[in-house]
Amino acid sequence: MKSSFPRPLYHVLTTILLLATEGAACGDDWPRWRGPDSNGLSKEPDWSTEWPTQGPTIAWKLSVGIGFASVVIQDGSLVTTGHAEDKDTLWCVDSAKGTVRWKHSYDSDLGDKYFDGGTTSTPTIHGGFIYSLSRWGDVFCIELASGKVKWSKNIQKETSVRIPDWGFSGAPLVREDLLILNVGDAGLALERSTGKIVWKSENKDAGYSSPFITGAGPNEVVIFGSSKSYVGVALKTGKELWRFPWPTQYGVNAADPIVRGDHIFVSSGYNKGSALFTVAKGQPVVSWQNKELRNQMNPSVLIDGFLYGVDGDTTTKATLKCVDFLTGVVRWTEPGIGSGTVVGAGGKLIVLTDRGELIVAPASPEGFKPSARAQVIGGKCWTVPVLAQGRIYCRNAAGNLVCVDVRKRP
Amino acid sequence: MKSKALLAAPGVTRRQCIKNAAAIAAFAAVPILRAESGRKYRVALIGSGWWGMNILREAMASGVCKVVAMCDPSQQTRDIATGQVTDASGDQPKKFEDFRELLEQAKPEIVIIATPDHWHSLITIASLRAGAHVFVEKPTGHTVMESRAMVNTANATGKIVQVGLHRRIGPHHVSGLQFLRSGGAGDIGMVRMFVNSRGGRERPSPNSEPPEGMNWDLYCGPSPLRPFNGKIHPGGWRNFLDFANGTLGDWGVHWLDQVLRWTEEKHPKRIYSTGGRPVQGKPIHTPSEQTSDAPDSQVAVYEFESFTATWEHRKFAGTGSEKTGVGCYFYGTKGTFHMGWRDGWTFYPADDKNSPTHEASQLQEPDGHNLTLLWKDFIKSIQDGKKPVADVESAHRSTSLSLLGMLSLKLGRSIRWDGEKEQILNDPEANRLLSRPYRAPWVYPTVS
Repeated sequence: MKSSFPRPLYHVLTTILLLATEGAACGDDWPRWRGPDSNGLSKEPDWSTEWPTQGPTIAWKLSVGIGFASVVIQDGSLVTTGHAEDKDTLWCVDSAKGTVRWKHSYDSDLGDKYFDGGTTSTPTIHGGFIYSLSRWGDVFCIELASGKVKWSKNIQKETSVRIPDWGFSGAPLVREDLLILNVGDAGLALERSTGKIVWKSENKDAGYSSPFITGAGPNEVVIFGSSKSYVGVALKTGKELWRFPWPTQYGVNAADPIVRGDHIFVSSGYNKGSALFTVAKGQPVVSWQNKELRNQMNPSVLIDGFLYGVDGDTTTKATLKCVDFLTGVVRWTEPGIGSGTVVGAGGKLIVLTDRGELIVAPASPEGFKPSARAQVIGGKCWTVPVLAQGRIYCRNAAGNLVCVDVRKRP
Repeated sequence: MKSKALLAAPGVTRRQCIKNAAAIAAFAAVPILRAESGRKYRVALIGSGWWGMNILREAMASGVCKVVAMCDPSQQTRDIATGQVTDASGDQPKKFEDFRELLEQAKPEIVIIATPDHWHSLITIASLRAGAHVFVEKPTGHTVMESRAMVNTANATGKIVQVGLHRRIGPHHVSGLQFLRSGGAGDIGMVRMFVNSRGGRERPSPNSEPPEGMNWDLYCGPSPLRPFNGKIHPGGWRNFLDFANGTLGDWGVHWLDQVLRWTEEKHPKRIYSTGGRPVQGKPIHTPSEQTSDAPDSQVAVYEFESFTATWEHRKFAGTGSEKTGVGCYFYGTKGTFHMGWRDGWTFYPADDKNSPTHEASQLQEPDGHNLTLLWKDFIKSIQDGKKPVADVESAHRSTSLSLLGMLSLKLGRSIRWDGEKEQILNDPEANRLLSRPYRAPWVYPTVS
């Protein structure tokens, strides 16, 4: 190949290729919580699942402040949030180099009544703007390129809606003109260009999941984890279509639902368990329900008919489990993960243990057999790792963010 | 241990786990039971949240208890807790919003009380009068005279009261105090109790309607009816002085209790406390929003005849140069003894040529307590008719020291304490703070 091109053209091509790699245009971005397909799975092709013995390279580190928000990535910009010195800060960082492009801070409470406190909701990037929701109801629409605030408001102060015990935590969802938030009993929608309220639900405690959209056309349904149930509402109107009662201790329904075909899977911690159901004529019909998989905070991933997720609470010896989606039967249990997190890519699981060990293993119902593992960060890690453009981003509660370079070497 | 904020302490080692498991297994192997007759104690839980369920799980695991009733002013809390009981034991307890109806209808033989502090006294007294033995969380009372009324009622009814001071029976606490009493640290001249954590300024949260199914009036009970706020419930009431007494009224009771277990003196003679909210900021309490109002930092000094004990807590700056954020130092002629929590106890000889002596903790995780042992002692006490390890009278004395620290803080001056008469000397204003007005229709318990 080299000899078939005249030298100058070769140089141009090489430069373009390099630019493409550096500019992050060929891999997969991760613009919202749970990734481009809202299922915790990345299509990133350029990543290595076999690491050198000393572990993969840590490309950069950054301290972003206390919290549990994960990162989102679009066109080389990484966005996340953290809390320090009585303020929440939205960070926009070069995802390859870790250099700060801009940041935006606003007054906020640490809110450490039950845990370390800090930010919990992951921002969303859509159409050149960042949308974010704070635990206390601050909503921001910020231009990704400049960091300029297009609009902001405090939705709690505007509506007097109840703040759930840990604060609002769901990542904003953008669909067409709407910005949808897990605020109130069954969500709330704003006009995304202005922040004006389009519809809202009853003034009852929200849960902690992110709004999840399913269905198509006029049948688009948004599912919210609420304090005592999972609720499906019509996208355009907010009209309640069905309600699956799911009372959980402290009202913590935090894991996003997982939908495949007509089946909806939900799971909660505090010894609640999980259930698979369908909806017929507005009534949920349970296929199975058991206590085998109890997702306290982070949802599982569904790969080839099997769920992989963390079973148990921060206060128990949580394990990683593989569960048959259609039957609820456990295929295997892997101890030692703690209240960690799991995402997937290319048929592999990417697991971050609650103590910061990053593990890669094939997603297989036959067992958990890691192909790579490395201690990439310390402290308490309850936040999902994010794979984008050949890099895995991990953070801990204290706000240390690390970029682990797992690009395949040329 | 009821302090959620400090749950993130170092985890237990594998060795501790094994030891712990062995201790539990040993207990399981020894049938203490009245179950010989096949009959079980009828147990009720009042206050069905996180800690109440920890205690109730011990009752269920003991094999001698049947859960007959669950009570909580929050419908959601009692529904979920009742479901957990049925899952764990098969028992199908009746649910009650109001403890008075529970006592009348369910006729429990044992009542577990794990409400916020402001309810401990009235519910303990009502339960004793209804003929039940009581396991009540520390502190015994929210004000000194409430606590005294509990002691008097226990004495009058002859029922057993065990207070949730699990550190009295926790293995490393028992061995640590033995080490001190046998002179391991020499003559102790000074004691320092402390609990330090991280934090910053506190911003107010908006008030709201109570959650659906919550009887907020009943929750507040004898305390002032504050607007509902998520900072209070669930899990935040310790930082509101209407319902509790802050960190000194929580952790302070455990450490003051350890000091009173060690010393042969029954009471300090003088107490002084100062502190406030220099970091969290002035308390806010308006119709629209609230902050907490407990001090973010506090120092209290307890002067005994033969030594001085100090308390300090800080909700900012972290643990600093200390190896741990929580514990109690006994300073003696032979060295410094640290009584800790998950870190067990350690003795640091004054002569640094000798290496420290250490004993690991043996706690039940995840919450780091010894409730299995405490519950076993409670049942044995009921069976033998003997004083339990954390009997109400001695627990009352430890509680009172924390309450007197808070009293001095509010009063802004030191007090001289007559521990026998339970009166503050020459200070009528201070003595009035040994009790407080109740919100009608609740009536402050009588002491006589």
